[in-house]
Amino acid sequence: MSRDKMAELEKKSKWARQEILDMCTRAGEGRIASAFSCTEVLIALFHGGILNFDISKLQWDERDRFIMSKSPGVVGLYPILCDLGFFPDTELEKYCRDGSLLGPYGGNVPGDIPGVEAAWGSLGHGLGVGAGLALAGKMDDKKYMTVVLLGDGECYEGAIWEAAMFAGHHELNNLVAIVDRNGICTIDFTENCLRLEPFEAKWQAFGWDAVTIDGHSFNEIFNAFKDFHNRKSNKPLAVIADTVKGKGISLLENNPMGHIIIPSAEQLQKAREELRQ
Amino acid sequence: MNLSMRDAFLDELYDIAREDRQVIFISNDFGAPSLDKFRKDLPGQFIHIGIAEQNMVNVATGLAMAGKIVYIYSIAPFLPLRCFEQIRVHLSFKKAPVTGIMVGTGYSYDLSGPTHQALEDIAIMNSLPGMTILTASDSAMGKAFARMTYETPGANYIRFDREKFPSLYKEGEDFSTGIGVLKEGRDLTIVATGIMTHQAFKVADKLAGHSIDAGIIDLYRIKPLNEELLIDTVRKTKRILVIEENFVSSGIGVIVSGIVTERGEDLKIKRIGIPDRFISQGGDRNNLQRLCGLDVDSITRKTLEWLGKNG
Repeated sequence: MSRDKMAELEKKSKWARQEILDMCTRAGEGRIASAFSCTEVLIALFHGGILNFDISKLQWDERDRFIMSKSPGVVGLYPILCDLGFFPDTELEKYCRDGSLLGPYGGNVPGDIPGVEAAWGSLGHGLGVGAGLALAGKMDDKKYMTVVLLGDGECYEGAIWEAAMFAGHHELNNLVAIVDRNGICTIDFTENCLRLEPFEAKWQAFGWDAVTIDGHSFNEIFNAFKDFHNRKSNKPLAVIADTVKGKGISLLENNPMGHIIIPSAEQLQKAREELRQ
Repeated sequence: MNLSMRDAFLDELYDIAREDRQVIFISNDFGAPSLDKFRKDLPGQFIHIGIAEQNMVNVATGLAMAGKIVYIYSIAPFLPLRCFEQIRVHLSFKKAPVTGIMVGTGYSYDLSGPTHQALEDIAIMNSLPGMTILTASDSAMGKAFARMTYETPGANYIRFDREKFPSLYKEGEDFSTGIGVLKEGRDLTIVATGIMTHQAFKVADKLAGHSIDAGIIDLYRIKPLNEELLIDTVRKTKRILVIEENFVSSGIGVIVSGIVTERGEDLKIKRIGIPDRFISQGGDRNNLQRLCGLDVDSITRKTLEWLGKNG
């Protein structure tokens, strides 16, 4: 990755956070802190060339499949998809309003949001659905990869581990789970609620390769995905992305109650300044 | 007919799956003699998901999103109860083309106790928009359901009894109306689904001994319910007797009553089903039916009381 490209992605991340903040404060709804912890991951996937897709052919058979299972973070995806041309700017403006395609937890329509296979709102579904997509890819001898973005709090759902066991057993090496390990669920730190650690070892015990990275470092994200379309291992891959919930705004950063905070008018000015730095 | 409704279904689905390799069958550690052939001959189309119903629906959804026509199969009531929210999101809201098959309507698993009995599944599935709910009442129907759900792979929920029943229908019969008018009557119409359709014939025989002429309707498609045909048929008798091996508080009787009330029909309705409680240590199905007044004699007696006649 060239320095220019890296600088461009850093710039995109700043821009995306501003957009997310504006969108959520305008609507008075949306999980800003949750979206900010996975901003670099989403930028790397969509702007950084990790995922294969064709904006002119949404249903291209060999497109990589991306599932936004960590639904509170889905607002972080909207500016990115819009920027790439999956839907017009007017959809961002309509966010949460009457007739809007985009909701705070995902698509408001059965057909889902252009650019992602699924974003449902309900936690714990994405890994199993992703395993189904990956298995279908194996059955049909397709080359596409399936990527599922999970929240760490989401990993309390039993269905995640049902799916982890299934994917490990079936050696779905065309499946990658990224866990946004921001350490906070809705009302407390995960390790206060129920310990997730040792987290990497849990995935490994279920038959996965697992790697822990700094989820805000493009270098580390790209390194984890370096042989993404040509994986040698026969195991699915869990990328545990250590992140900061609310990254970039002091009001939200690592605030155990930050999940639901929408900055007030006075707080907003300071937040915008912090994001510009 | 010697086959159970489930085996007739699975045999037909085997033939379909041989022709169309996109058909995938997922079981949650639940078998059937007729499934062995499928597993042996079509291993690439059979998935043993383990005892994991939530993952069963999720994986089925992913496969369906990639173009597969997916069947998920479980002993009742774990499908639909354990994975209800997955069904709600993927099959009902997002319209994933998946067909759920459950075996064990009502008190089918009599000795296994309340944990293994499906007494409220109709209420639960009927609450979800866009679902098709089918109850088989014989093996010709079971066989037909395989082809119907293959051709319309929308969100389907099929209910099979565990028992073998005598034939009510001919092979190749048209099941598109959702309602089988099995017997015309003059005085009242019995509405039933699944096993209770068979009970209805015995009740009608008993009632005939009291000079009461009862018609019989097999409500095999509970959703979407063919209201026009139902009302046109029951209107002729002015009285409806609903009998069901479901909780009476939330079964087909409630659904039928709602339709009649909403339409302002001048029809009297009597609902006989399982009272609002779980029965443990109830013994076999015959005994369970006796305990809740669903045996032929109890239904007949209650009906005569309703009609103001002394048994």
